[in-house]
Amino acid sequence: MAEPGRSITPTSVEAAALAVGFMTALRRAGLPTSPDRAARLADAFRLVPPDARERLYWTSRVVLVSSSEQVPVFDAVFDAVFGGFLDPADSRGDTNAPPAIGSEPRTRPTAPDNRPTGAAETDVSPRPSAALPGPEGQADQSGPEREALLLVASAEERLHETSFADLSQDEIAQIRQLVRRIVLSTPERRSRRTRRSARATERLDLRRTVRAAERSGGDSIRLVYSRRRPRLRRLVLLCDVSGSMEPYTRVFLSLLQGSVAGAQAEAFVFSTRLTRLTRQLATRDPDQALARAAGSASDWAGGTRLAESIRRFIDEHGRRGLARGAVVVVISDGWAQDAPEQVGAQMARLRRLAHRIVWVNPRKVAAGYQPLAGGMAAAMPYIDSFVSGHSFAALAEVAAAIRNDRPAMPGRRQHTTSDNT
Amino acid sequence: MSRPARPGVDEAMQRLVPDVATLLDSLNAEDYLADVGLATALFLAVRLPQPILLEGEPGVGKTEAAKALARVLDTPLYRLQCYEGIDAGEALYEWNYPRQLLGIRLAEARNVDIDETDLFGSNYLLRRPLLQAIEHPGPRPAVLLLDEIDRADAEFEAFTFELLAEAAVTIPELGTVQASHPPIVILTSNRTRDLHDALTRRCLYHWIDYPGPERIAEIVRRRVPRSAERIAIDAASAITRLRTLDMVKPPGIAEAIDWVSALTVLGVDRLDARTVDQTWGSVLKNRDDLDLAGSRGSAWVVGGDHG
Repeated sequence: MAEPGRSITPTSVEAAALAVGFMTALRRAGLPTSPDRAARLADAFRLVPPDARERLYWTSRVVLVSSSEQVPVFDAVFDAVFGGFLDPADSRGDTNAPPAIGSEPRTRPTAPDNRPTGAAETDVSPRPSAALPGPEGQADQSGPEREALLLVASAEERLHETSFADLSQDEIAQIRQLVRRIVLSTPERRSRRTRRSARATERLDLRRTVRAAERSGGDSIRLVYSRRRPRLRRLVLLCDVSGSMEPYTRVFLSLLQGSVAGAQAEAFVFSTRLTRLTRQLATRDPDQALARAAGSASDWAGGTRLAESIRRFIDEHGRRGLARGAVVVVISDGWAQDAPEQVGAQMARLRRLAHRIVWVNPRKVAAGYQPLAGGMAAAMPYIDSFVSGHSFAALAEVAAAIRNDRPAMPGRRQHTTSDNT
Repeated sequence: MSRPARPGVDEAMQRLVPDVATLLDSLNAEDYLADVGLATALFLAVRLPQPILLEGEPGVGKTEAAKALARVLDTPLYRLQCYEGIDAGEALYEWNYPRQLLGIRLAEARNVDIDETDLFGSNYLLRRPLLQAIEHPGPRPAVLLLDEIDRADAEFEAFTFELLAEAAVTIPELGTVQASHPPIVILTSNRTRDLHDALTRRCLYHWIDYPGPERIAEIVRRRVPRSAERIAIDAASAITRLRTLDMVKPPGIAEAIDWVSALTVLGVDRLDARTVDQTWGSVLKNRDDLDLAGSRGSAWVVGGDHG
């Protein structure tokens, strides 16, 4: 197209007003905007005078859009704001046809996030390693001795193998005592920092070696090795508390509680909507915590909006760092009201964030179980480990699936379900 | 009207890249066929200046765009290929320890005193791409390509951005290196994971769409100079048709180039069902995709009449 070399078109005042007006419309449509972006857009208009529709479109899109998912919303708003005027003959030359105005007000209402996001940097504190019973929860009178007794007593063995759904109220209470003591441990990842290593490693710390050599007058008497400091991956548990999961919910809540206390996990429950329970479960008194949890999750034992809940989790928590490189455990039978393809799409998003996805489905043990329930089948390709966790013994499987590490290489998609031992 | 949005963009840059259309032509002259959207994006990245995040399917030319831009600006390209676990020693700088040890030994042998400031001088510094880009003396800023930033850890992402925002590096032993010409930063991502909001907020963004058959043919002709126009067009439309199937690895521009090269070497000047059958391997690189395409038949691929 012929560039009108030195045209003295819109003044910068107009450009600034244009930028601000357009940004307001975008913000209403749910696109994240911020003052620095408005300033940037005004700068951009100074460089690329918006005297043709195509230039206006591309300049503002390059500055204001920050992911391809936002493009349809942007297009709709652009058409709504600039639809009538500004040289309609000048085609935009873009292949994606803008949808009808207002047809899709917000594909994903991204919350404005203007804070510097350092959420991924939290919790560096040492954690209890391996699956030792945690020292937390002093309020619990039974103590580790009693637990040990419970574990070895063969009379209790039946209890351990029985599905939670078939236990009596008393037995459930007993099992919950045990479940709460399970300390889940996630695989380690290498952090960017190194520390001195006592043993010889593949990584010679030349900086320290040279410093040591200077001290001894230039002779490297001692080689100093380094190794990457390991850090435990974050653990995130998403527990389905809808009607179909009811027989198992109480026990799994104890598992959440133990994980929050012992492994500093993040716990969420969902049915028709998602509720973050980490804070409620972190209190010392377990029963009170459960009562509070029941209080916050208003829709205890309702239907399940699986895809919607995962979407909410990703948008409001996962993307900001919670799910990044984490082990995400979804506890659900996969019966969902949402369309299976939506479940699949959200699981794909979760897959891109998480290190591993473990799916716990207590229905898995049923004879001849096939993950055919729409939501479950759609989620399968994105799951690393598919386990049942229906009984106390089966929870060992859950712990193993969480601990299991595999090098997190970028091309790691192994769409299989393993770890059924 | 065209005054720099921020100080730091000098006259030379304004002359080199006065407007979007000129940049488009310059890229074209460097054998990179951009559309107006990408040219606008790169123009703003150079002139605002502001880092730009380029996304798009693998093989749409994200990395090539950065290389072409560096050629247009006649400035070095520093490329940092990211991978999981990449750290400052590999991205920014590292001391040349073997050389330092040697220096200590030499000094000892010659009976010369050597102290830390000698050992940690710039002679002993190994400059990695980030530092090279920041130290680049000009006259025009270098192009810094952070390739596949989605592969690096989130911490590295944050670290890099901190550094680029400051346009300065502090090396404890040497002091602070302040960029005289802060680099033009281009990031690419294949979306294997979502990038941090902090990063996307600071960047311009452009999604490179997959080009249509005419543009593919044009790109192929540039890259395979000996190819006939006919065969390039045939291959481009065949690839566009294949991409409508639900493939594990849809063929991209690289495959189109490979394919036309192969066909040219084989001396084929018209694409027909038989030649397609012989050369599937240049186009489809996945067993399932081969089966899928095979079920539609090679006649369909070349645009034959049997649907």
